[in-house]
Amino acid sequence: MELDAFRNDLDRWLDEHAAILAPERTTGSLDEHMTQLAKVKRLTYEAGFMRWGWPEQVGGLGGSPMLRAYLGETLTGRDLVEPGIYSMTETLAPTMIDYAAPALAADMVPRLLRGEETWCQGFSEPGTGSNLAALACRARREERGWRVTGEKVWTSLAQYAQRCVLLTRTGASDSAHRGITALFVDMDGPGITVRPIETMHGAPEFCQVFFDDVAVPFDRTLGQEGQGWSVAMDLLPFERSTALWHKAAYLQRRLQDFVETVPPEGLDPVAVGEAVQLLAAFRARSRTTQYRLAAGERLGPETSVDKILVASAEQAVYDLVEAGLAPDVLLDDGPEGSRWRSEYLFSRAATIYGGTVEIQRNIIARRLLGLGADR
Amino acid sequence: MDAAELHLFDRSLGGAVETYSGAALDAALVRLGWHEALVDDRRAAVSLLFEHQGRAAVSSGAIDVVVAEALGVDTAPDAAMVLPALDRAEPPATKGTSGLVVQGLGTTRLPERATALVVLRARRGEQVAVVKTEELQCRAVRGVDPDLGLVEVMGATATMPSMTPIRPDGWSAAVTGARLALGHELVGVSAAMLELARVHALDRVQFDRPISAFQAVRHRLADALVALESARALLDAAWQDGSGEAAAMAKAMSGRAARTVARHCQQVLAGMGFTTEHPLHRYVRRLLILDELFGSTRSLTAALGRDVLSRRRLPPPLPL
Repeated sequence: MELDAFRNDLDRWLDEHAAILAPERTTGSLDEHMTQLAKVKRLTYEAGFMRWGWPEQVGGLGGSPMLRAYLGETLTGRDLVEPGIYSMTETLAPTMIDYAAPALAADMVPRLLRGEETWCQGFSEPGTGSNLAALACRARREERGWRVTGEKVWTSLAQYAQRCVLLTRTGASDSAHRGITALFVDMDGPGITVRPIETMHGAPEFCQVFFDDVAVPFDRTLGQEGQGWSVAMDLLPFERSTALWHKAAYLQRRLQDFVETVPPEGLDPVAVGEAVQLLAAFRARSRTTQYRLAAGERLGPETSVDKILVASAEQAVYDLVEAGLAPDVLLDDGPEGSRWRSEYLFSRAATIYGGTVEIQRNIIARRLLGLGADR
Repeated sequence: MDAAELHLFDRSLGGAVETYSGAALDAALVRLGWHEALVDDRRAAVSLLFEHQGRAAVSSGAIDVVVAEALGVDTAPDAAMVLPALDRAEPPATKGTSGLVVQGLGTTRLPERATALVVLRARRGEQVAVVKTEELQCRAVRGVDPDLGLVEVMGATATMPSMTPIRPDGWSAAVTGARLALGHELVGVSAAMLELARVHALDRVQFDRPISAFQAVRHRLADALVALESARALLDAAWQDGSGEAAAMAKAMSGRAARTVARHCQQVLAGMGFTTEHPLHRYVRRLLILDELFGSTRSLTAALGRDVLSRRRLPPPLPL
């Protein structure tokens, strides 16, 4: 399937099925977003679109990852799904394909694509934010499998998740990046407690997850024991490629919504122009990244530039929204105002989640500018 | 051009730019067939040459050629143009009572040629006139960037030259081409500044370690690279898109990036970079002028914002 043919087929199908795909928005709650996400994934999977760009051994129809990039672009650009929750597939499915035993990947990945299941990513811990290699959540090797004890935090959608891609410490506590192992954990087993975190933007999508002697079979190990750092490092460029492209499509849509409704007087045209330019620059950058990914290139530290650019663009867009629609963002309790407010507040985290911009700058300094270690 | 030809062409241009400047560089470009390349593969010719020119902080009359070629002028390879004044993008001349009223700028080649091309704003389409250079009132500019060899053109010609209409979209094509060329030159200037600061940060030792070990320094340089890459991304998009709007965005982003890079690199180079013994000042001077040619970042960005607000529509994004 070529991109142009896919684009035409998909756009036509989305137009024809607009009514059934449309979200039923009443409160704008995370529950509503998750229900909508599951519906859209199921319908696009049944129609075949969700399967393109994924390999056949996991229920896909093959073809270039560009098809996935376009699917997510158009679903977020049409405001059918929220990009943050939609694009988790882009990070977690490639990890399973690359590191899970083939039978496990073939069994599990279709469930994620079909919208039957939600997966989460257990990386950060209370004592391990930017310094991921210091993680402490312990997996102890026993005769019949791993036993996991520890705590994760900022785990998106854990309260909805059936599975978790979990980074654990299997080496000595000071083994740093060498002693980490990735596991694929069922979230319904005994010993797991999930506590959603109330955040300032009002949607409790991040959680704390507690593991108390949780049993995980050996065949749920992703990659080899001690290979968890590679799993994590290979996952991050996916988080900074297709997922960010989807985000940009959503920002484009919301900036368009904004310019259609904002009273133009009093708005600084330079600020408007800058936001448009920043978003265009990010899209141009990310577009090249999609082409590199599709050509089979290995993505690496240069995606830190993409991450900084999208964060800058997102904050510029919502700074503009807050300036131009202050009464809506600050005072309106109706659905539109609440949505702008939630998105504005969430945009403050764009420079924090998925690796802070400071960490991205460290990566750029060391790996792209060759400035050596910072100590 | 295929990849091997491109590589060879790039190296030849790089070599010419390292060796020559001004009229000698113009002559070298003729020998290298840059003008033919401009017609055959505009993107390669413009992006490679202007980026080299920016990196080396040399000057040439290549921008005149880009403009003349877009206007469809036969003598393009050898033409000297009167370019718009600072921060302007409309043709530099209007019709006065007895001659042309000209307000604009010229490159190093303007005083060397017996005639110059002047584009005239007129109600029904732009026209181009061939004017004797001695009839133009020129002032050799030293200003902020004496090495650039800029010429200021002001006043009216004594006689009315004969004029030929240019093709309907000729002037806007010329502006688009010039903005892309200047965008690449600004990227070259930025890349050179970043490299100077990067090397300095690795070499300069304070508190018993290279200052590149300090996060305050590293983050400035990282931000400089991000700015530079955002300019590159929009230039790439503008070539693919082909529209004047995309070129204007790319020019604005290149100018803003150059100022960001200059701010960070000047701080990292500190006292060293403030002396004229260090080359940084040449790049800082150059970017100030380049940013103002064919519309500054400031005015291009404001114009984009006004346009978006009045049409209530974002510019169409480049499709995947």
